[in-house]
Amino acid sequence: MISGELWCWTSPVWLLIAAWLASYVLMVRGSRRFHWFALLLGFISLGMAFISPLGVFADGYLFSAHMVQHLILLLVVPGCILLSLPSANTDSALQGARWDRIGRILATPQLGWICGVGAMWFWHIPWLCSTAALRPGFGFFRDATLVGAGLVFWWPIYAPRERYRLHPLSGCIYLFSACLGCTLLGIYITFAPLSVCPVFANPTDRIGILNAIYDAGLTPGIDQRLGGLIMWVPPCLLYTGAIIGLLSRWYTTAKPNSLGTFAAKVKEA
Amino acid sequence: MSTEAISRREDLAEKSPWGLLSWVASVDHKRIGMLYILLAVFFLVVGGMEAVLIRIQLATPNNTFLSPQLFNQLFTMHGTTMVFLVGMPVFTGFSNYLVPLMIGAKDVAFPRLNAMSFWMLPFGAFLLYFSFFTGSAPDAGWFAYAPLSTKAYNLGPGIDYWIVGLIVMGIGSIAGAINIIATVLCLRAPGMSLQRVPLFVWIMLMQAMLIVITLPPLNSALALLCVDRWLDAAFFEPTRGGSALLWQHFFWIFGHPEVYVFALPAFAMISEVIPVFSRKPIYGYAFVAGSSTVILLLSYGVWAHHMFAVGLGTTANIFFSAMTMLIALPTGVKIFNWTATMWGGSIRLTASMLFAIAFLIQFVIGGLTGIMFAAVPIDWQFTDTYFVVAHFHYVLIGGVIFAVFAAVYYWFPKMTGRMLDERLGKWQFWLWVIGFNGTFMVQHFLGAMGMPRRVYTYADNPGWALLNGVSSFSVIFMVAGTMVLVWNVVWSLRAGAPAGDNPWDAFTLEWATTSPPPEDNFKSLPEIKGRRPLWDKNHPDYADWKSSQTPGDGGWRPSRSKACAWSFIVSEAIFFLLLLVAYVVFNTDADTDGPTADSALNVTRTAVFSAFLLASSLTFWLAERSLRAGKTPDFLRWLGATILLGVVFLSGQAWEYAGLLAQDVTVDRNLFASTFFTVTGFHGLHVTAGLIALAIMYALGKNKHVTSAQAQPFGAIGVYWHFVDVVWIFVFATIYLGVFRS
Repeated sequence: MISGELWCWTSPVWLLIAAWLASYVLMVRGSRRFHWFALLLGFISLGMAFISPLGVFADGYLFSAHMVQHLILLLVVPGCILLSLPSANTDSALQGARWDRIGRILATPQLGWICGVGAMWFWHIPWLCSTAALRPGFGFFRDATLVGAGLVFWWPIYAPRERYRLHPLSGCIYLFSACLGCTLLGIYITFAPLSVCPVFANPTDRIGILNAIYDAGLTPGIDQRLGGLIMWVPPCLLYTGAIIGLLSRWYTTAKPNSLGTFAAKVKEA
Repeated sequence: MSTEAISRREDLAEKSPWGLLSWVASVDHKRIGMLYILLAVFFLVVGGMEAVLIRIQLATPNNTFLSPQLFNQLFTMHGTTMVFLVGMPVFTGFSNYLVPLMIGAKDVAFPRLNAMSFWMLPFGAFLLYFSFFTGSAPDAGWFAYAPLSTKAYNLGPGIDYWIVGLIVMGIGSIAGAINIIATVLCLRAPGMSLQRVPLFVWIMLMQAMLIVITLPPLNSALALLCVDRWLDAAFFEPTRGGSALLWQHFFWIFGHPEVYVFALPAFAMISEVIPVFSRKPIYGYAFVAGSSTVILLLSYGVWAHHMFAVGLGTTANIFFSAMTMLIALPTGVKIFNWTATMWGGSIRLTASMLFAIAFLIQFVIGGLTGIMFAAVPIDWQFTDTYFVVAHFHYVLIGGVIFAVFAAVYYWFPKMTGRMLDERLGKWQFWLWVIGFNGTFMVQHFLGAMGMPRRVYTYADNPGWALLNGVSSFSVIFMVAGTMVLVWNVVWSLRAGAPAGDNPWDAFTLEWATTSPPPEDNFKSLPEIKGRRPLWDKNHPDYADWKSSQTPGDGGWRPSRSKACAWSFIVSEAIFFLLLLVAYVVFNTDADTDGPTADSALNVTRTAVFSAFLLASSLTFWLAERSLRAGKTPDFLRWLGATILLGVVFLSGQAWEYAGLLAQDVTVDRNLFASTFFTVTGFHGLHVTAGLIALAIMYALGKNKHVTSAQAQPFGAIGVYWHFVDVVWIFVFATIYLGVFRS
């Protein structure tokens, strides 16, 4: 009985996904398999965040689930949006002077950094966190700002045009310092003696699953600690992955030679 | 450097002293590099003697050769010495000597700063070892866990010498690291893009960056321990509300990356030695370089695996366990890079190569036991046993020291112009392999049997006497091996075969000059079109760039003063961050006895004084602009205004302090007062330091010594000044506005 209620099949997120897919099909040309893959990943993660049990848990039950949702909206979905855009298409879209100016402004690393790291910190100010969890309208506003901030954050790394992107080494510093930013927040949440998002300390048991959650060991203290660790470790791993991507791009601007032919030449010598 | 400064330096060079004094007065990176290495060798012997005494004590059960107290002092000093006076200096030495040569530079970016960095080290060492004369050398272990290291449990001055010694050496290390960063970024020869630098250079750049971000947490911890011990605060005393765990967190945020401060240079050395003696380029340059960068990031997030046994909670343990296993990946895959480099190569088994191969095997053993410790239950079982001792000695001796020996045999000809004797080298190699594995392999078994570390003796349990006997006896081989090395060095310096410029037919630029290199390093440089410029020059038909292109040099070289200022700022930012973390930790709880931020502080008044400080950033910017435009009177006016605003801010702080002291809010009153005075006090000290720098600039400007040519160093001071202001914004938000308070 309960398991049926854990899935929110009637979530309005379906509409969002449909609108996103429609606009992608209508507006974006020249997508390759990689871009479709990024798009699909975006859909799946968005669906995960709201339709799967994660969405139900995040809705007032578990701080840790809320944290996963938060990270999907801030880091995964915007990243997928940007990666799903092929550069040829955006070239024509960004050719107008006004679009170009916006692209350039978004390419300012300070702006992206403050949006990305700032959004994480801002939405964990205790009363804001609780209010967003209690009032659906405010919650929607928070989710929208998270996606927006995520887009601005990833723009200097994954903008569809090369010239909006940071130099790979600057990109590494950008991501490394962002990792320090969320590490600090993660440490704070993990080890803070007080409740960072008080609404999760005394959840309203809407669908009668609270006892099961507590029986599984996810009491509010442990839940918050887990949330802090989720804020801390997965984003840093994501940034590390992006750093590896940047470095490999940096090192392979010129194509490497296959070692086999080289060794053969040395032996001849 | 201006032409005036260069000619002044040349004048100095002509009048420079000679003989022993010339070494003391030298600012040549090669001499300073050698001084570092010699100092490390000296303390390797000292720390080694301490280890020998420890092993004599442990050779038999119930031994009374050493008193418990002396035993504690010896293992503390052994650890501290090996970490701070052997491990760090030996790598800084090689880095100092080799990095400028490998990138085709004449010297490091800041030669005099380099000399200062070095001389801080013997000074710190002197302070550390002077503690023996006070009768109470530090005895709380090299990680000085609180509360054992606090005044309540450690009355003697030993820990105080330890703290001061470490701070002094830490300042030197950070300055040295900043110098390497600035050198690599700013002084590369034309053609040497960052993607082309030898792996040694890239990895040492990463190591220098790691030092810059990893030593500040230690300094923060030491600062807090100082305040505890000298001013009677209670940061680390649980009985008075403090947290002993906070020390462990801070220490290991430093301590774990510190392992990579040692491991990275070992990787760097191996990455040069193995390709040259395999006659092949490194397999997967980009992976070795990139993974070293990733290690820099990951090493900062695994410290708590040293704390599995303290009760962080299952969730935290699981995450840190996973992170720890993850960091093994970039390190583990490198083993395959080195092995693949040897695969199919034309291997020459020189003494250097033998040490490198032994490194690979022993480091894998040390690494694998490390992975075992990442599993929390195994850690609980083995923590504080000899298994831990065996594990980290396999990493630090079997890995790191063996890499250093490989480096010694490889670069000695370059440094001295003479070859080391290969036959003696092989003798040393086998003595060390037998001695090292004999000493530490059996300690795995002792640990598994439950023998605790850091206990001065043990009962005659079945098998313990035999295994300890084997362990202690094997030390003789290592001592003999070391004596062979010393004899080899002494003999080779006098009668070794002349080395020539490039005895190993090596690939990188340090071999393109004479052995030893002249004072300005190069007569001429080969053209740099790839990662192995000397190979390209010597084997033009098989030049790397003909078969594989590497990203070219776009000519980007940042200004030295900016590189220096920014590196310094990063280090300082982390120092303050940790102090603020300490404040938040102790002040989130609303119900504290005694004064709190709410009851004791006048927020409005401080806000007004803060405005003065922030305004000084604006006036500084105006001063900088006037200087660049060459308007000296305007420059002096704005600079004067900046100083004045800074002084007003400090006066405000003095006023606040006086008020608090009058209300009996002193640093030892409660944790709010301790953290408040510590954070704002250190900030005040930084403002004072900035004001002194500004006053010097002002005095120089008054005497017409400052022109627009000095805009760059002045800009560097500006970076510092703005930084101090930004820090204050965070201090104000955290302490006065209480953004983290419930």
